Amino acid sequence: MSDCALVANVNEHDASMDVGNDKSLFEPTVDMMVNDFDDERTLDEEEALAAGEQQDPKAELNSLQREGDMPLEELLALYGYDRNMDKPVVEPTPEVVPEETEKPESALQQLYSETTSPEATRCLRSGSRPPSEEEDDYDYSPDEDDWKKTIMVGSDYQAGIPEGLCSYDDALPYENEDKLLWNPSVLDEKVTEDYMKKVCVMNSGTGVEAVPRGKQLRDDEEALFLLQQCGHNVEEALRRRRISAQTPAHASLWSEEECRNFENGLKAHGKDFHLIRQHKVRTRSVGELVQFYYIWKKTERHDIFANKARLEKKKYTLHPGHTDYMDRFLEEQEASIGGVVRPASPSTMMVYAPSPAAQPDPLALGEKEVFSQMNTHTTSSRALSTEDQEPEAGS
Amino acid sequence: MAMQPHSKKRVCYYYDSDIGNYYYGQGHPMKPHRIRMTHNLLLNYGLYRKMEIYRPHKATADEMTKFHSDDYIRFLRSIRPDNMSEYNKQMQRFNVGEDCPVFDGLYEFCQLSAGGSVAAAVKLNKQASEICINWGGGLHHAKKSEASGFCYVNDIVLGILELLKYHQRVLYIDIDVHHGDGVEEAFYTTDRVMTVSFHKYGEYFPGTGDLRDIGAGKGKYYAVNIPLRDGMDDESYESIFVPIISKVMETFQPSAVVLQCGADSLTGDRLGCFNLTVRGHGRCVELVKRFGLPFLLVGGGGYTIRNVSRCWTYETSVALGVEIANELPYNDYFEYFGPDFKLHISPSNMSNQNTPEYLEKIKNRLFENLRMLPHAPGVQVQAIPEDAVNDESEDEDKVDKDERLPQSEKDKRITGEGELSDSEDEGEGGRRDNRSYRTPQPRKRPRLDKDAPALKDELKAEDSKDDVKNMSVEEPKKDTVPNP
Repeated sequence: MSDCALVANVNEHDASMDVGNDKSLFEPTVDMMVNDFDDERTLDEEEALAAGEQQDPKAELNSLQREGDMPLEELLALYGYDRNMDKPVVEPTPEVVPEETEKPESALQQLYSETTSPEATRCLRSGSRPPSEEEDDYDYSPDEDDWKKTIMVGSDYQAGIPEGLCSYDDALPYENEDKLLWNPSVLDEKVTEDYMKKVCVMNSGTGVEAVPRGKQLRDDEEALFLLQQCGHNVEEALRRRRISAQTPAHASLWSEEECRNFENGLKAHGKDFHLIRQHKVRTRSVGELVQFYYIWKKTERHDIFANKARLEKKKYTLHPGHTDYMDRFLEEQEASIGGVVRPASPSTMMVYAPSPAAQPDPLALGEKEVFSQMNTHTTSSRALSTEDQEPEAGS
Repeated sequence: MAMQPHSKKRVCYYYDSDIGNYYYGQGHPMKPHRIRMTHNLLLNYGLYRKMEIYRPHKATADEMTKFHSDDYIRFLRSIRPDNMSEYNKQMQRFNVGEDCPVFDGLYEFCQLSAGGSVAAAVKLNKQASEICINWGGGLHHAKKSEASGFCYVNDIVLGILELLKYHQRVLYIDIDVHHGDGVEEAFYTTDRVMTVSFHKYGEYFPGTGDLRDIGAGKGKYYAVNIPLRDGMDDESYESIFVPIISKVMETFQPSAVVLQCGADSLTGDRLGCFNLTVRGHGRCVELVKRFGLPFLLVGGGGYTIRNVSRCWTYETSVALGVEIANELPYNDYFEYFGPDFKLHISPSNMSNQNTPEYLEKIKNRLFENLRMLPHAPGVQVQAIPEDAVNDESEDEDKVDKDERLPQSEKDKRITGEGELSDSEDEGEGGRRDNRSYRTPQPRKRPRLDKDAPALKDELKAEDSKDDVKNMSVEEPKKDTVPNP
């Protein structure tokens, strides 16, 4: 699970390094520490660097002895193209346990034999490969060793596996406890469903009429947790629910000011939520910012913001310093913007911010289609929210 | 005591509502938010209430150093965006920087991801659940002392290590589009964990996973790599997945399975190059589930997040054995799923560079390797069972074992019954003691006991994975097991 684009670029880098353009490898390393530059580019370089590190001299020598399986890079290194000379700092502590000794010089032979019969040398690796007819049914790309990596063997790489099986008693193997939030096996499924329907009615009882939501009865994790806490006593849970329903958690609702600060922060720092938190929205944690962002970016408020930024970008192309992040941001957005349903404001979706179970206000949905579906009470299985929150004046 | 419908498995789900709030950085393709999107879909589909839900503990440094080096974990614990400059050297050493950036809450994120997988493994070990799910896990690239490919702490390795406390052999299957190098490396030299990875190979991250990488030392033949080309579609995937996994089950005979469900093998993934649909991906879950072994499902890659959440939601429903509608229910992130707002996705028209001949050759080569397994028990007890197994379960107690096996399985049987007790499990100490607090079980626990009756149960298990009666007998037992 990594960036294939990065990997694809490794070869390019390798090529340039092999021509002796070695400085290009070192500089990103420094940059990397500063961590203040364009990711895409540096990710490439980082990947290239990792490719280099993987073949770091000490590890190579050891693994060479052990396996006699020398990648092309090292051979190039032997011939004076040693990229590692540029970054002696990089030492990923090899200490490979040499279990099987192979002649290092076989690596040389390998350089020449690689193209014709790569298996012959590959078989040497820890004797781990079947010394059988490999060629006939396996096709090779000519420069495969440029991207190829090796599974390392040694105590620095493998997990220590305790001998034998242990007895399992009641004691957890760890201290902190996993918190049980819901256990489905206590109550009959029907009872649970009834309970949730009641909760649902309760939620929508105060305002707008409940809207049919289609076939699915959505789960309310808070309500289920409450039921769990009440020892699966439905009446008790409903009673407590009624009390708490009077006081919705409006504390986590974002104010207009916070929204504005957040957007200004995006303008100034891009999606560096750490910096936005530090400089613009001190009232929220970084996590809350991230959560807000993912709701916000699918609202009209975001569209307005993005359009405005686009205009500004045109106006101020001569001052690139400020638009760098925004360029990036806008590019990313463009791909994802389609004519889809958009709530007008993120705020409505954040009313019960700590709970992902919170529903957006259907009235805030920006699209007519949804709106009409709602009014005609169709039982479309594209179920609509039945929540009754008041629309926020956020936008 | 009321129960879920009997054909269902007990499914346990691990999720921390904070996990979506971690952010790798602008432009970074890895988005923990996709786990929250999945969670939200699960809620809106009504799947949540059918599972046992846990907020997992945060794994401690002690737990993580069961695999990782002390230095590395200490580093992860101390590094923050605001003190990075003090750690230049270590950042290079541990490959933390750009691909695996330092972000706010990095260590906590690792704790949650790892905590979920370890907790899930413990749950399975206690036989308190048949299937455990941790979509926050699956970070299969992390190495013992190195971050890699957006992964810092290898929750899978930690989970498997936990399973190994109770299981002689654990099978790891990886359907991420990238090679599961971190897990393979961790268990490269042991014969107690077989790692099987299906992945794109050739000028592709992480560059390992060659067909000829088969493990080393005692672990020789216990790493299985299926190198694939661009454009794998559902049909091709199943055509290689089914025979390989059946053969692996047959020869390796694990007693627990971990499946890494990286969703970057789906069509249209931002980083992937396969052409699988959600159905094709989920099919793997379904197939593995049929073996009826204790089953741990973890997440992994997946960079087109709307599809990731579709995929994992669907796979949760597969684990539960519940059908869900193709129309997506309204949810907090509904807008992400336009323009169609459907659960299932269509493959693209990209060409599939994996010809049937190519796949056949790979398969045959891997079969040769699997035949080399030194202690492979000669009897096949596990082919992928047929769908409708429940009709068979009725009278299984009366029937002789051989008759219970479907013809397809009997055909593949090589050796007689006598060999069953002759497996390498023979003489494993302590195992029986583990279970002493439980009453003798009708429940099947493949390969756990060496005595013949247990093996009979095991065979039963294979035939009747969703067996009604087994479930009901089992349920009360759960209560007698003291809570953690």
